Amino acid sequence: MTESSTSPRNVAGAEEPIVYVVDDDASVREALGNLLRSVGLRVQLFGSAPEFLQSKLADVPSCLILDIRLPRVSGLDFQADLAEAGIHIPIIFMTGHGDIPMTVRAMKAGAVDFLTKPFRDQDMLDAVTAAIERDRKSRQEAKILSDLKARFATLSAREQEVLTLVTAGLMNKQVAAEIGIAEITVKIHRGNIMRKMAAKSLAELVKMAQALGVQRAPPQP
Amino acid sequence: MRNQTLSSWPSAELSLLGGMALASLAAAGIWLVLGPAPDVADHLIAIGLLIALFLAALIVLHLVRNTRKQMQAALESRIGAEQRATEALRRSEEQWKAVFEHNPVMYFMVDAEGTVLSVNTFGAAQLGYPVSELHGHPVLKVFFAEDRDLVRKSVEVCLTNIGKTHSWEIRKVRKDGSAIWVRENAKAVRQLDGGLIVLIACEDITVRKQAEDALRQSQSYLAEAQRLSQTGSFGWRVATGEIIWSDETFRIFGHARAPSVSLDIVFQRIHPEDRARVRQTLDRASSDGRDFDHGYRLRMPDGSIKHVHATAHAVTDTSGGIEFVGAVTDITARKQAEEKLHEAQAELAHVARVTALGELAASIAHEVNQPLAAVVAHAAACRRWLDRDPPNLEEARGTVQSIIKDGNRAGEVIQHVRALVNKTVGQKTPLDINEVVNDVITLLHYELASHRISLRMELAPALCPVLGDRIQLQQVILNLVINGIEAMQPVTDRRRELVIRTRQDDAGKILVEIRDCGIGLAGGNASRLFEAFFTTKSDGMGMGLSICRSIVESHGGRLSASGHAGPGATFQFVLPGHQEGNTP
Repeated sequence: MTESSTSPRNVAGAEEPIVYVVDDDASVREALGNLLRSVGLRVQLFGSAPEFLQSKLADVPSCLILDIRLPRVSGLDFQADLAEAGIHIPIIFMTGHGDIPMTVRAMKAGAVDFLTKPFRDQDMLDAVTAAIERDRKSRQEAKILSDLKARFATLSAREQEVLTLVTAGLMNKQVAAEIGIAEITVKIHRGNIMRKMAAKSLAELVKMAQALGVQRAPPQP
Repeated sequence: MRNQTLSSWPSAELSLLGGMALASLAAAGIWLVLGPAPDVADHLIAIGLLIALFLAALIVLHLVRNTRKQMQAALESRIGAEQRATEALRRSEEQWKAVFEHNPVMYFMVDAEGTVLSVNTFGAAQLGYPVSELHGHPVLKVFFAEDRDLVRKSVEVCLTNIGKTHSWEIRKVRKDGSAIWVRENAKAVRQLDGGLIVLIACEDITVRKQAEDALRQSQSYLAEAQRLSQTGSFGWRVATGEIIWSDETFRIFGHARAPSVSLDIVFQRIHPEDRARVRQTLDRASSDGRDFDHGYRLRMPDGSIKHVHATAHAVTDTSGGIEFVGAVTDITARKQAEEKLHEAQAELAHVARVTALGELAASIAHEVNQPLAAVVAHAAACRRWLDRDPPNLEEARGTVQSIIKDGNRAGEVIQHVRALVNKTVGQKTPLDINEVVNDVITLLHYELASHRISLRMELAPALCPVLGDRIQLQQVILNLVINGIEAMQPVTDRRRELVIRTRQDDAGKILVEIRDCGIGLAGGNASRLFEAFFTTKSDGMGMGLSICRSIVESHGGRLSASGHAGPGATFQFVLPGHQEGNTP
């Protein structure tokens, strides 16, 4: 395992992305590392899938460049293993020769890109940039969702119930009738919900409900 | 008559004696009566005379008797001699007659016209006739029609050369139609009456003729066999340097027939490159008196080359000299067939190699592609290091080093492949078997990886080199490893592991072992594994192991297969170790 960071602009930045390379062929591994380092990326090299699994991964935007043919475990199986272990990292596959069924399988399983060796340096760098960007985005989304979940958790059971009905498009009156409380009480709950969830409008609240997956289907007319 | 005469002798003597006595008495009486007056004295005289006379008569009688006895004895002896001579003549005649009749020689006496005047019993019996059926018949009757002219001519020759013996060999026909061979000795003689007769003595030579025929046939069989087997025979008397060749040997050496040849003539034909070796062999054999066995080439006058093999046995002759008796075989056709076979085998091995490489195409492409990918990536990185401001020369330099290294690696893979595709093989050089194993594995990483096989190499260090053809040995290892990979294809319940092991045994032999944990060897198949066209694979040609075995055997080694504890099979080959200056 090799870790290197040479860019002076990103010295030890906590958010500095990192690229993991898993290839059993030392030449290819090192060449790829060299290429990535030359554009200032932080790289970590592994000779096998188990080596990668045993290492502690930094909590920064990252991507994995994986040779599809690895000894013992194929890259595709490794991809499945990672998904199963809950490690969501964008994967760029490399293969010696274009193999359509393999490409299809890899892409279906969520691979970012699939490059044939020898690859054009720019193609690889573009794929890495895109993968890191995607990871950064998914990390941000994950952060937003977890914030949202935290805020949702602060709601009382009644407030959560009211939220689902309101975001489903029910009028206050209808909500009151639905759960058997006074309309005025519904209004108080709505005010609390908007404050606790930091929603500026009903539309925003609807989006939050969607993201949380607590939205109820709209009532049949 | 004579006997009567002889027997009357005693009575004549008595008559003579009586006559004389009477005459004496008469003379005495006459004298007494008519003579002078008797006187006493005269009486006495007369009596005295008478007595004297009587005595004289007795003496005469005695003498006559003696003479007669002598005469009779002489007469008797003459008669005895005559009788004995007659007896001897009679016996001799009988004897000769017996000889003539029963001597195991056929005698014929034929007149000038060819009529049989006499024939002995033996002769007639030999021909199956009684004498009476030949006597007075033309002698031609006992000859085959086609031989009769020869008989006439031969008799003619005898008749024109009277007294001279002529002989010839001819067939005679028996009464039952069968033939006998005879040697006839004939001579014409003139009889007292002036007529010519021919005396013929015939000796039965049928057995000899048969033996001669048998010998001739056996000789012709031998010659034919020599011609067919292209094997000539020879004898070589070392002391005199005299060499005797059979017809076939002359033919093989392309030399005109001669009673004997010299060693120089032999050497003239021997290929110049082989002369020294042949001379060494012959010198050693002739000085030690030991059997020899060697092969060499002949360069024929038309420039063609013959391969011969000679083997000889040493014998000591009566004078203690060494003589070799041997055979020389023209093995050109065999050599050519061997060469053709060798070429065909090499061709087949080449095809098998190229086929194997075809199967490995993906693996080989991968092995070339990996370093190329590395080169391209390094080169791109290098440009970026140089494009920096300021350029990072240290990184760029390091990168160029890597490019060189990876470029060479790609080149090596190509070289290995090109060598395996190469057709010309056969150069045996001292090799480190571990290097050969590594050469092969270079091409197989990808193949092993794509079949998820882990490879364990247990190569003993500092092995004694083997004398071999690198490409052929690579082919053997390649085949065995691919077989191992294929054997492990169905394995899903255990780790697929292939072990390659090299070591040296106590006898200095080099062992290479390739062990898989695949489907193993089915009991009945183990013995047939190395047969050509035997395969247990649905798409196999069945040549792989057969070719491997012939390659290993051509290196003086042995290839074997065995099961082992646990699943799978082990293939092992053993090659002789190579010491400097020790050619196998």
